[in-house]
Amino acid sequence: MSHRIAVLVFPGTNSEEETARLLLECGGDAHIVHWSKASTLPHFDAYVLPGGFAYEDRIRAGAIAAHDETMDHVIEGAALGKLVLGICNGAQILLEAGLVPGRGELRRPTAAFTRNGPVPHFVCMRTHMKLVIDPARSPITAALPKGALIPAWVGHGEGRLAAHESELRALAENDHIALVYAHADGRVDASAVPNGSALGAAALVNTAGNVFAVMPHAERDGWTYNHPDRRRGDDMLAPSGGAVLFRSFVRGVGGR
Amino acid sequence: MGSFAGAGIALRPDELRRIAENLGRDPSVVELHAFDAQWSEHCSYKSSRHLLRALPTSGPAVVLGPSEDSGILHFGEHNGERYGIVVAHESHNHPSQVVPFEGAATGIGGIVRDVVCMGAEVIAVADPLRFGRIVPGSHQRYVAQSVVDGIGAYGNAIGVPNLAGDVYFDEGFDDNCLVNVVALGLVKEAEIVHSYAPRNADGWDIVLVGKATDASGFGGASFSSVTLDAADEESNKGAVQVPDPFLKNVLMRASYRVFALLREKKITAGFKDLGAGGIMGCSAEICSAGGYGAQIDLERVNVAIDGLPPEVVAIGETQERFIWALPPEITAAVLHIYNEEFTLPQIAHNARAVVIGKMTAEKRYVMREAGNVVMDVDIDFLTGSIRDDLPHHEIATPEPSYGRPLVTGMPFGEVLERVLAHHDVASREPLYRRYDRAVRGRTVVARGEGDAGVLAPISGSKLGMAVAVAGNPRYGGIDPRLAAEHAVYESVRSVCAVGARPTGLTDCLNFGNPRKPEHYGELVAAIAGLATAAREFEMPFVSGNVSLYNESAGGKAVPASPVVACVGTLSDISCVVTMSLKQPGSVLYLIGHPQGALGGSVVLDVLGRHDRTLPRIAYEPVQRQHDFLWQAMQSRLVRSAHRVSNGGLIVAVCEMAFSTMHCGHTGIGVQIDDPWQWTHGALGELEALFNEAGGFAVEVAAKDVDAFEGLADNVDGVYEIGVTVEHPVLSLRNEAFDLSHLYDVWRRPLAEVYP
Amino acid sequence: MSERAVAISLKIPDNAAFTASVALGRLGVEADRIERSEIWHFDDTGEGSTLVSRIEGNETIFNPNKHRLTLLEEIKPRPGEVWIEELGRHDETREHLGGKTIAGVTNARRYVAWRFLRASGEPEGRDVVQRAAQRLLCNPAIERALF
Repeated sequence: MSHRIAVLVFPGTNSEEETARLLLECGGDAHIVHWSKASTLPHFDAYVLPGGFAYEDRIRAGAIAAHDETMDHVIEGAALGKLVLGICNGAQILLEAGLVPGRGELRRPTAAFTRNGPVPHFVCMRTHMKLVIDPARSPITAALPKGALIPAWVGHGEGRLAAHESELRALAENDHIALVYAHADGRVDASAVPNGSALGAAALVNTAGNVFAVMPHAERDGWTYNHPDRRRGDDMLAPSGGAVLFRSFVRGVGGR
Repeated sequence: MGSFAGAGIALRPDELRRIAENLGRDPSVVELHAFDAQWSEHCSYKSSRHLLRALPTSGPAVVLGPSEDSGILHFGEHNGERYGIVVAHESHNHPSQVVPFEGAATGIGGIVRDVVCMGAEVIAVADPLRFGRIVPGSHQRYVAQSVVDGIGAYGNAIGVPNLAGDVYFDEGFDDNCLVNVVALGLVKEAEIVHSYAPRNADGWDIVLVGKATDASGFGGASFSSVTLDAADEESNKGAVQVPDPFLKNVLMRASYRVFALLREKKITAGFKDLGAGGIMGCSAEICSAGGYGAQIDLERVNVAIDGLPPEVVAIGETQERFIWALPPEITAAVLHIYNEEFTLPQIAHNARAVVIGKMTAEKRYVMREAGNVVMDVDIDFLTGSIRDDLPHHEIATPEPSYGRPLVTGMPFGEVLERVLAHHDVASREPLYRRYDRAVRGRTVVARGEGDAGVLAPISGSKLGMAVAVAGNPRYGGIDPRLAAEHAVYESVRSVCAVGARPTGLTDCLNFGNPRKPEHYGELVAAIAGLATAAREFEMPFVSGNVSLYNESAGGKAVPASPVVACVGTLSDISCVVTMSLKQPGSVLYLIGHPQGALGGSVVLDVLGRHDRTLPRIAYEPVQRQHDFLWQAMQSRLVRSAHRVSNGGLIVAVCEMAFSTMHCGHTGIGVQIDDPWQWTHGALGELEALFNEAGGFAVEVAAKDVDAFEGLADNVDGVYEIGVTVEHPVLSLRNEAFDLSHLYDVWRRPLAEVYP
Repeated sequence: MSERAVAISLKIPDNAAFTASVALGRLGVEADRIERSEIWHFDDTGEGSTLVSRIEGNETIFNPNKHRLTLLEEIKPRPGEVWIEELGRHDETREHLGGKTIAGVTNARRYVAWRFLRASGEPEGRDVVQRAAQRLLCNPAIERALF
């Protein structure tokens, strides 16, 4: 029995095609589901919220989309234990919806991926993310090696993790910070963080481990042709690099 | 300008007379504005179209030449289907000077529509920019920052990667920035949608799609064809166009869905972007190009506010709109896709798809408002070509003045640092990091990683598409003809530097007031230069744009700015080459002939010297160098490559080393041999290292040197110039320069403009 | 030294205000008209009468081709209005002003103001504004709302 993954499209989403493509090539049964077809969402086993600018990030990144009917279904699914992966704008939506870190009421966020600092500008660059939780903490990371280093691109103006001090402490103590920004050689320091994110956080996971919000785009460095260092020898068109995160997610969902 | 100038009409008295004679009566207000838009330079190319005929526009790679909203170049085959690359190039100079963020953003919005309406999926944008000098607190600085933010905000939101671009800072642009935009699309050649209605389309529906029409952008076409007066900026506000990339994102996806429906039903329809001239311009052109007339009912137009005058509804340039010419049996299904499936009315105020009229066999363009005819003209007279023959001065190429080798008392290290820190050389990364360059996951070479951006646009195919732009204003200020030739040469060279085969060109010609013979002469000379270079490279122009009147109230025109984009194909992306040095122990070569001519070079600028001798292009050897480089890259003998351009060979080599550092690798150094040796004493050291004549710096692994030199056997202009070494140091003669320090020098200047 | 505040709003169509009103409508917060503006609250050592012309010298926050500027009589939200302030971004004059300064201004605070009006032009009641802030306009993790 195949496990069906819905790749959600909100008005303004822009990364649905490559996200679905990489999921498929990593063995997932991915389907793009448009906002006007939200009522079909209960029939899916997992949800991926791709990048983009839902409602052009008007008011705040992810704020309006967090209240859409689409998110009603995602919230229901998450409560049933379905896996949910939000990437970039998708991650912002999950935080605005209160699903991640999931320590407060729904739709009353306790943390946000917000305006970059110290320079409040959109930034697009290559980066790496390092797994800093026990892989078994979340079914989404379970198939990754401990300390995995994942190449990706950042492409956001609002990716800085911010919350009240006490909440940030709780996030650190309870292993909500799943991935942090790192250098290509795996070193972790402040100069690897492109956006001033608190705790160097690139990804957060909820308490139960089934909802995962990651800012950088692993799918934009998910094929051999995407990176000059991987281009020699291998099959140019094969998934590689950032695809490890997608493979682990698909494994967690129960795909091949 | 005529006596109507104060009323926002730029038509001249002789043009007004022609209109009245044709109509046999005085034109109505709507007609007056309609002709004003259609006969503006922006729409009619009246003073440039006949000159542009000199450009080659055909060839085996041309699928569609410059006749519709975009041109199309053959790209390659995959699974038995032929694919084309849709190419469009436009300027948004005037609007960007007045409201830089919105002006630049709507520039991207407009060029993207030109590509979408060919039935294509938009896959990339590029942005050649020209700004004034960056002085803290200046208007130029505000323009330079806001333009970049506007381009980023729009392109990022619609999810199209910014693949190429360039930027120059020159006092010639203090009063008029240039914002040129290029968009590229992918289309199966069998599925192209044209900007005209096909045969047997009498009685078809004319459907307006997109944003509700408002008062923004009224007078845009003639606005972009008059000179800019600072005092008039306030009164120009009607011409402010408001971007809505959110709506565009949804419109693009909805239109892709409509393309699929039409393919499924095997229906050929017409589709066109609403640009200059608004509803009137677009509907008239889509109908007249198919040999029809039109009946338009303005009351059916979805408007943002009630009570807009008919001429504003008819001609205003509200953004984010298209027009379809559809057979009536499919209209309801198309409206459903836009209005229900993609919920346009919820995306923007009163946005929707709506039937506004019908195509008619009778070739008249008739517009009604509340049952009253407000416009009734011969459609061919309205859209037909008009021509202005203007006097021009011959602009001659300055006589070459090769003097003695350049000598300066400045230590070499200081010259190098000044060149690296020059605003036209310094790292562009602070600027383009504000652009999404990797969305869609198809980026092979991102901006800054190679001389051209490269995409793998077709799933499952190893075909790569490359694009690069060029146009050096320091050359334009000296000799428009050679500047145009160099713009072609540099864009072609950049595409070659990543291992692609150039296939075609597109241009944007930015000049001053054509009614001044000296400026018109520059346009004439530049077009001649483009034609020469394109013929020599056997490269067609498939689209282009002309932007005139780039002049301030004080009469100061921009430097002649022919800007060119070149598109190329890689048959296998595994042969792609980037610019970062890959390993120590490689041999470095220069492919290309260094020249003594330093006119327009960065090194002369930093030394405060002047010379009007530009480098010449020897096309035959250059072609052979390009062929050789391609073969060497196909044989995987080249580890890295970078074209020689601003700052010359030494800058190219430094940038190759900087690129390695930027990738997070341990730095690699370079040791450059004494130029006296490899130029055989023909050039002085400064000429050899800083001339911008062209060519490439390439890295060849030691093991491949024999094979590389074997291939180079019959090629003129291949020089061994040095080696790569372990530590990040540039050595030259007995001197050594710390590359990490030079990297900082190179990175800092634009980081101050784009923090 | 005086404290002064201005509201800068768009005179071209405001797409964000439209989207906010559609979204709030779906959440059951109805208003005939929603206006959005940026509020700048300055510590100013210059003359009050010259503030507007001094601000006009900073194109980054005020471009007369697209903006309208109103000098506020009182430095607090008007009836029917909420100000949203981002936490932890107080004394960032240079950044907020786009790297440019305004003569005489030594400190700047920035708020986004949302104003709810009835068709008649009368301000909506406080309950409407509060619900809008609570449901959508203010993220308590990073912002606070001033009424």
